[in-house]
Amino acid sequence: MSSEEDRKIKQREAGDRETARLWRAWRTVHEMVRDRGYTLSDDEVNISLEDFKREYMGSDGSVSRANMKFSANPSDIMMKRYSNPPTDREPNPPPPDIGQIFVEFLNDTSVGIKQMRNFAQFLSSQNHHTGILVTSVNITPAALKIIPAVASETRIETFLETDLLVNITHHELVPTHVLLSKEEKTALLQRYRLKDTQLPRIQMGDPVARYLGLRRGQVVKIIRKSETAGRYASYRLCV
Amino acid sequence: MATTKTPKSILKKSSSYPAAATTSSKEERDRGLALYHARLIQSRKDIELEILLSTETLIDYPLASSLYDASNPSPADAKAFKDFLRPFQPSDYDALIVERNINDHCGYTLCPKPRVRETGGGKYRVIGTRGRAKDFRVVEKEELEKWCSDACARRALYVRVQLSESPAWEREAAQSLIKIDLLDEPKSEDDSVAEELGQLHLSGEEEQEKKQNTANLALERGDQGRAAHHGLVDVKIQEKEVQRSAEPPSLDEDDLSGRLDTMHLTLEGHTPSFGSRRERRDDEEEADTDWKI
Repeated sequence: MSSEEDRKIKQREAGDRETARLWRAWRTVHEMVRDRGYTLSDDEVNISLEDFKREYMGSDGSVSRANMKFSANPSDIMMKRYSNPPTDREPNPPPPDIGQIFVEFLNDTSVGIKQMRNFAQFLSSQNHHTGILVTSVNITPAALKIIPAVASETRIETFLETDLLVNITHHELVPTHVLLSKEEKTALLQRYRLKDTQLPRIQMGDPVARYLGLRRGQVVKIIRKSETAGRYASYRLCV
Repeated sequence: MATTKTPKSILKKSSSYPAAATTSSKEERDRGLALYHARLIQSRKDIELEILLSTETLIDYPLASSLYDASNPSPADAKAFKDFLRPFQPSDYDALIVERNINDHCGYTLCPKPRVRETGGGKYRVIGTRGRAKDFRVVEKEELEKWCSDACARRALYVRVQLSESPAWEREAAQSLIKIDLLDEPKSEDDSVAEELGQLHLSGEEEQEKKQNTANLALERGDQGRAAHHGLVDVKIQEKEVQRSAEPPSLDEDDLSGRLDTMHLTLEGHTPSFGSRRERRDDEEEADTDWKI
């Protein structure tokens, strides 16, 4: 009798913890998408736990990940940042390589080639430019090889739920990273008379680079606090 | 002195040096080098993609109907399986097993059954409690859940040990020709007849060896094979012209007695000539006398 009640209480607590985890990951993903420059309203980003429960909790008291998906469109500022400036050689540059982003949470206990293929097919059929797959378990190495194989059609990024529990960019030891547009990059390289390979580097797998969705060849401006100078900016090339 | 006449150079005319030619050829060389390495990387990428696609295809095997099972796979499936498996490394094969397990298939590609699910919790299982002590083992539950039965595990691992450890783009031609055997080969009538014929011939093994030798030779020549590509160095083999008929080295009987005392100094038929042994002994004797009072 009491053990039965105990079990129930424990189960409910575990469910609550799971819900809270999902809510935090949900918020971090929204913040990430907004920080990249996609348009999301404040209401969508700063959803409270109660609202989140109301929205996504089923009748059985658990959150169904299948409902947790959303898409967002790039803002004008972001389009401008990713645009290719016209040059002498190319007076009509190609349009910016950016488009609608789609985020999905996956509930499967293991993620393999099949799931990745399905996700990629879904993205290209719905004409989503970028897809973010949030999983609760590690993706198999073979499945990760699908990502470069379909890179020509759609961009896939994967995150673990555990990595999204806190927003790392809000930590006080993480300086502000600002993505430079192509124009700003050329201006910077001219100002310091550099080739881009002469800049310090940041890896594509760097947590902040993953957060911002950096691509090879992009430059981020990193603004740190300095005791002597107030603010100190450095630039890093994504490799 | 200020004339418009240009001073005559005391240096040789630049045209006599192929300076311009060398710079262009250097550029050409650099370009060739870059292309060579780019091609290597591209071929490697191609093979990796091929392995990935093969894995994807093999997840849904066997394709044949329920007529066949793991101990008697359909010949078409078995052949396709072997063909797909050729560029695999053991690690790729492990990835294939994991992928099949995710889709709830038995880890052995030619087995149509689902994998077993152990009942009960716990991370480890104790096996071999009934047999001898050396059979006793504690294994992870996941290891047991990979297959539908022990027989399938045996079949799958039998294939695994035949795969080459070296990646496909580094293999020699002979290695990429290696034939993979299944533990339970499909024994259709055609096959068994063909097998018997092969045994009748008796030259089956010999022929295989011959084929491998030819393949190796072709690779050496740079003709074919996965790893075949135009090398950076232009190798031309020039046979040494033989004037007289070759004869094996022999001991000259007549002057053997004269060489006997220096024979132990001979290195591959050559005897160092400076300071023969006898002379040295004389020197030593002389030196020894110095010590005498």
